[in-house]
Amino acid sequence: MFLYRLVYVLMPIGIFLSLLWVPPANILGDASRILYFHVPVAWVSFLAFLVAGLHSIALLIKKSEILYREAMAYNSAAIGMVFTVLTVITGSIWAKVSWGHFWNWDPRETSIVILMLIYIAYFSLFSALKSNPNRWGISSVYLIISMIIAPFLIFIVPRVYPSLHPDTIINQDKKIHLEASMRITLFFLVVTFTLLYGYIYKITNKLSLIIIKLRSSHDI
Amino acid sequence: MIRRSLNFVIRGLILQNRIVKLLKKDFYIEFRSRASINISLAFAGITTLSVSLTSATMNLPFRVHSILIWVIIFFSAMNSLSHIFIREEEEGTSIFLSIHSEAEEIYIAKLLFNFILFIVITVVVTPLYLFFMQIWPENFIFFASSVFCGSTALSSITTTLGAIVAKTSMRSSLFTVISFPLTIPVLWISINLTASSLEGGSVDLLNLLFLLAFSGVIVSFSYLLFKFIWMEQ
Repeated sequence: MFLYRLVYVLMPIGIFLSLLWVPPANILGDASRILYFHVPVAWVSFLAFLVAGLHSIALLIKKSEILYREAMAYNSAAIGMVFTVLTVITGSIWAKVSWGHFWNWDPRETSIVILMLIYIAYFSLFSALKSNPNRWGISSVYLIISMIIAPFLIFIVPRVYPSLHPDTIINQDKKIHLEASMRITLFFLVVTFTLLYGYIYKITNKLSLIIIKLRSSHDI
Repeated sequence: MIRRSLNFVIRGLILQNRIVKLLKKDFYIEFRSRASINISLAFAGITTLSVSLTSATMNLPFRVHSILIWVIIFFSAMNSLSHIFIREEEEGTSIFLSIHSEAEEIYIAKLLFNFILFIVITVVVTPLYLFFMQIWPENFIFFASSVFCGSTALSSITTTLGAIVAKTSMRSSLFTVISFPLTIPVLWISINLTASSLEGGSVDLLNLLFLLAFSGVIVSFSYLLFKFIWMEQ
């Protein structure tokens, strides 16, 4: 938990680095600073999705602590959903500044919206299975199938079809086309946002555990 | 060694026999009522006619034709793909089916049924559309393979999702919600391939292989995971 609490120190430093320390980009100017938030939240939205899928696999294999593991997958998906919405918002602002429109149906924009739709579909399915005792199994299968399809959407489709999106992070040269200070700030914030995700995830999991214990004591 | 391989062959034959029996049962029930196939084909015919009635005189780009073909195929098939599982739940035969057959057998039989149904819908929709819209693909083999590979990929993913939806309380409305985001990559690529084949572009083997690989991955994982959906754990 101590590691995750570092976020209280790292986040203000990250905000300082991204808004004041790093020089603005050549053409986009100060608007380019949104990159230091857009990329980390996009990363966390995918990471949360991956964690939810991996928990689902563990749940199907072990078939123990069902309620807790199911809640862990759900919590990760819920946090992922929030970060996906943040990715769409920050991306739209950046698109307006760079390309003149909030939405351009760029393959990457489309793929993040589809990821958001997958999350929405998962929550709809979860609530529709409320009375089904096998909810944990069915919702886990949906998350696993989605996790298999997500790489096709996030990594393959945007690379097959022409995109307006800058390829600064992952590109054909396999090099990062950023100045040293920009690179440091970006990676600093990626780590900070990952810790923030871990911190929120721990808290929500603790909360779920308390709720599960309270419910089971009520049943007794 | 010989005994082991003989056992393997016998088990394979028994599995095949059981799958064929399940498939036959589904076809008998379906063709007795003809509810889902009739609705799907009627939907496909009416939508194709409506689209051609309003836009046959327009000179639409090939991409728009491709989008229209896939929208008609997708929504016509959507009406009946989940029906095969929902029927078992509604008629109360799903528990009997779970006792009588292995999850893997049920999955393969339903997958084959949906695949055949999808192909039938495609075979009805595509010539109707081409006839009424007065267009002909420049590269017919490429066109046919793009429609076939797209149909294979769509039927493989919607079979699993149909089973999931059958176990929920809001079946038909939920099917569209949960299947749409997962079928988007397939639709996206199928529309591009069909548009390219209508324009007379060269065969895009990479994207055709992508659709087949997608189907393979989904079918393999669904085969492994189906028991968690269908059987009470």
